[in-house]
Amino acid sequence: MVSLLRNQKVRNTLLQVLFVGSLAAMILACVMIARRNLAEQGITSGFDFLFKSTGWDVNFSLLPANANDPYWWFFLIGIINTLFLGTTGLVLATIVGTIVGLARTSSNELARLLGRTYVDIFRNIPLILQVFFWYAVITHLPTPRAAHEAFGMLLTSRGLYVPVPNVGGAALAAAMLAVIAAVALPVWLGRTSRLSQPLGERLGIQLTAAATALASGAVILALGRSPGVPILDFPSLQGLNLKGGLRIPPEFSALAVAIAIYGGSYIAEIVRGGFKAVGKGQMEAALSLGLSPWRVFTLVRLPLALRAMLPILANQYVWLMKATTMGIAVGFTDFFMIVALTINHSGQTLEVIGILMAGFLAINLSLAAVFNRINRAIALKGNQLRG
Amino acid sequence: MNSTQSSGPAVRIENLDKYYGSFHALRKINLSVKRGERIVVCGPSGSGKSTMIRCINRLEQHNGGRITVLGTELNDDVGNIDEIRREVGMVFQHFNLFPHMTVLENCMIAPMIVRKRPRAEAETTARRYLEKVRIPEQAMKFPGQLSGGQQQRVAIARALCMQPQIMLFDEPTSALDPEMIAEVLDVMVRLASEGMTMICVTHEMGFARRVADRVIFMDAGEIVEEAPPEEFFTSCRNERTRQFLSQVLGH
Ligand SMILES: Nc1ncnc2c1ncn2[C@@H]1O[C@H](COP(=O)(O)OP(=O)(O)OP(=O)(O)O)[C@@H](O)[C@H]1O
Ligand SMILES: [Mg+2]
Repeated sequence: MVSLLRNQKVRNTLLQVLFVGSLAAMILACVMIARRNLAEQGITSGFDFLFKSTGWDVNFSLLPANANDPYWWFFLIGIINTLFLGTTGLVLATIVGTIVGLARTSSNELARLLGRTYVDIFRNIPLILQVFFWYAVITHLPTPRAAHEAFGMLLTSRGLYVPVPNVGGAALAAAMLAVIAAVALPVWLGRTSRLSQPLGERLGIQLTAAATALASGAVILALGRSPGVPILDFPSLQGLNLKGGLRIPPEFSALAVAIAIYGGSYIAEIVRGGFKAVGKGQMEAALSLGLSPWRVFTLVRLPLALRAMLPILANQYVWLMKATTMGIAVGFTDFFMIVALTINHSGQTLEVIGILMAGFLAINLSLAAVFNRINRAIALKGNQLRG
Repeated sequence: MNSTQSSGPAVRIENLDKYYGSFHALRKINLSVKRGERIVVCGPSGSGKSTMIRCINRLEQHNGGRITVLGTELNDDVGNIDEIRREVGMVFQHFNLFPHMTVLENCMIAPMIVRKRPRAEAETTARRYLEKVRIPEQAMKFPGQLSGGQQQRVAIARALCMQPQIMLFDEPTSALDPEMIAEVLDVMVRLASEGMTMICVTHEMGFARRVADRVIFMDAGEIVEEAPPEEFFTSCRNERTRQFLSQVLGH
């Protein structure tokens, strides 16, 4: 018995059990105390409120919503809004960051100076100020009657009106899956056929897969369209108001622009770091083999730079995803704002905060998991120290 | 396929000048290398050996004089630069393999893209040269999974897969442990015996004695001495050369 306690494995297991046990006991105690206090104040705890209707409305939703809908539906809308804002912000920030980062590594002195100025300015102004700034700019855009028009989109102080497809929800979702497949399939095929197929053939297979996925998406859209109306619903001025299309509210645009520009300044530094991490030797070797500068970039410099930046980029993405909670500052009904409103209206503070934390954990952990997988898949094999 | 002449010197360097800012790295270098000739370049650190051979495939741009490689003049003409780089292979001190590609892919990429060789042919060639440098069994590994000596042999195979007419070596063994130096030198000796035109920067004097047609000694950006190995090692005229030789041969 005593000798058992001296076994290292047994000891470690015992310590683990004790630790987890006391943690569970503490949480249980907290919950029971909270319940008693809440009961004394006449607040019932539990998740029943999720199925009651909210009685208030949201200002932006990609799904149909009104005041009669239950809370759980609103949470879903909030999460989708957060994801929509987050992905838009991340994609734009990545584009901005790549351009600025490349400018900073370019051999052109003016480009380098512009890039540095950009990073210095936008990295050093708090995000919330930038959100307010862009909100002010966007709400001072022309009225609907004097709207700017570009590519069928209308830019006004009331929001950005974009054309939407006249297609049923299910078909739209299926088409979106097709688009995702069009991106994911070539990547997957590229990985699995890396060794067994020639470069050119591999590219051909990838392009065919992407084209097939996109084509099936188009077919789904064409089949799912509402009969008798054009496939795209363009916004247009009718009387004093704009009709048709999807209205992206100024709150959303301000947040997306702010995250793109602020996040872009951080991503620019990550991109620059990634390119700086690529050894000059590899590029010289590629040049000495007669590869053109463009080939050296696409075959050697970019793939190696990407590997250097991806882990840091993942952190930055998780961080920017959390920055979407700035929505509450200008009144965009993201997940966080829905949670705040729910607390006001229902009084179920603890439960709702639990839902908020669980939601963000789920979003950010999946993001991190995806990036970890990509990192592992493309990690350089073996010891890199020898050059 | 190439418009390079089949006669005349492989490399002709005339009055070559190279500056880094205001630093005069190469001073009026003159050197002519015949086809099939094996040149060993040595000299103290910072004497401009790397700079000189890197000028031959335009990894460095020269500021004065003329460089003609296989009859093509190396100037701002991108077409000329491409043509010369196709025919001149280079092996570096730190191997510089592409770490994200397998050994085989490292060897196939340039022939496929630059020489537009079909995949099967590129693979056959790559495997043949991997065999030649004695590591055919490592074809599917990544560079990071190989020893330094193996990596350098892959680097040699990668350059050879382009089937160049001239090979440049910049201290190919100085980053290697002693037991790996021999395996790399061995490959180089065999390459020399097959008639490859080679310009090697190296301090391996045994290699110089065995294969070099001429040994060139550089100091402070100049070619100080130039002689066949026997003469170079026994009766060099210059004081600096003698000093250098006593250092490298001393231990
Ligand atoms: N990119 C550069 N910028 C400025 N100076 C340089 C650069 N590359 C080389 N030099 C200088 O030019 C001189 C010659 O350098 P080089 O690398 O050709 O010497 P080396 O003979 O190859 O020396 P080693 O044996 O150490 O490799 C050195 O004094 C070096 O400091
Ligand atoms: Mg050198």
